Amino acid sequence: MGGTDALLAARLTAGDDHALAEVFDRFGAAVYGAAAYVVGAGGGAQDVVQDVFVELWSHPHRYDPDAGSLRGYLMLLARHRAVDAIRSELRRIARQERHYRLTIDEGPPSPGEQVLSADLASEVRAAIQRLPAAQRQVVELAYFEGMTCREAASAVGIPEGTVKSRLRLALAKLEAVLDRQLLEAP
Amino acid sequence: MTAAQPAVPPDLRARVLDASRRARAAGEPVPEVPAISPAEAFSRAADALYRTLSALESAAWSRPAIRDLDVQGLVGHLTGVEDDVRRCLAGDPAVSLAGHVESTQAAAARQAGRDPAQTLAEWRDAVSRTLALVAARGHDGLDGLDTCVALHGMQLPLRALLVVRAFELWVHENDIRLAAGLPLAVPGPSVLSLMTRLAASLLPGAAVRAGVPGPGRLHLVLTGPGGGTWDLEWDPEWDPETASAARPGPAEVSIVADAVGFCRLVSDRMTPAELAPYITGDRDQAAGVLTAAATLALDLPEFAAAG
Repeated sequence: MGGTDALLAARLTAGDDHALAEVFDRFGAAVYGAAAYVVGAGGGAQDVVQDVFVELWSHPHRYDPDAGSLRGYLMLLARHRAVDAIRSELRRIARQERHYRLTIDEGPPSPGEQVLSADLASEVRAAIQRLPAAQRQVVELAYFEGMTCREAASAVGIPEGTVKSRLRLALAKLEAVLDRQLLEAP
Repeated sequence: MTAAQPAVPPDLRARVLDASRRARAAGEPVPEVPAISPAEAFSRAADALYRTLSALESAAWSRPAIRDLDVQGLVGHLTGVEDDVRRCLAGDPAVSLAGHVESTQAAAARQAGRDPAQTLAEWRDAVSRTLALVAARGHDGLDGLDTCVALHGMQLPLRALLVVRAFELWVHENDIRLAAGLPLAVPGPSVLSLMTRLAASLLPGAAVRAGVPGPGRLHLVLTGPGGGTWDLEWDPEWDPETASAARPGPAEVSIVADAVGFCRLVSDRMTPAELAPYITGDRDQAAGVLTAAATLALDLPEFAAAG
């Protein structure tokens, strides 16, 4: 009885921190493995694991035992959080890339950033090249030139709302590419 | 994944648990239950019982309920309790040590042969008068609900007495529902939350009185709306004169149970076996605690002796 996912969920909801420790002991390694698979072993994966367990502890009622196993829920959460972390990192790299262009005398990016740039940013850049020209243009202006939507609208000569809708469409396609790249198990 | 999982960094567990507890304190149930006053809990329990009684078929009023009382007699008993509560609030010392059953026997007996509607109206009126007195106390800046009152052998703050009374009304509502063949009622989360808090707070004392070996530490988890988590300790040999002396560390036992079921246990309407809790730690000690919980009998008669 005590080991069932439903009881663990009920205990978490009741504020039982012993249950949280039990969940970590049972699934922590798997969650860390799922995170490390996407972002690589290290600090990033630890951050993801922390996010996953804080989410579970803060909102245990979001897990529905009738909908699936707790392990499956945590693994899904880990993959989503890991992909979010990658997306965030890509945006950071894009901002930094623009910064390097403007300040070419500054030192090169760190080895970690270079790896991410080589492996993941290249995937994104390839996906950007496959976007329709109109969407590619606003993505480049917004993410690589660092323009606001209003600035991009002015540069292209289209309404700001059009820039936003093109960005939304483009990001949805890019995220789909990321999901395929990062979520498909080998 | 087919590849071997990377080793979990050794300090990750502590880091994750610390971050989680910072995000949400241990012991606090979620989602948060709307807080209500003890008077409101009593009022809601009375309303629930009134609805049940109002819907009873006339034949149900004469069915056996508890002890030697039929449903109508039980409602008369509750009218008698309200009478004693009002005397208690008025400072009448005669009710402080009066027996819960004996003192209300006359009110129960006088219902025989009456129209159930008259019995119901009398009880409802008695509840209304209790609530009016409590409201007056609540507005009294000096006394308020923290005033210690004495009733039927209990000495406790008025706010605790009101929760005990809510407990009693809920328990007897279910006695009546059982007699009438109706499904059991469950209090709303706000009322249940006050009831579980009260029951948890009384548990260490019950463990000591029941002779459960100590020192002991109980991690009590009551699941479901109105539940919560408590870390409780008891020590039968605790002595303020020797409190600093070395004592063996308390053994910990963990009990996880349904909140409503636990309230039925402490009101002596369910056995520990029927509750079927999830236990870790010393099972004998857990069994002792659960037996002690049942002695609380928060439907009042036995609680009078315990309190």
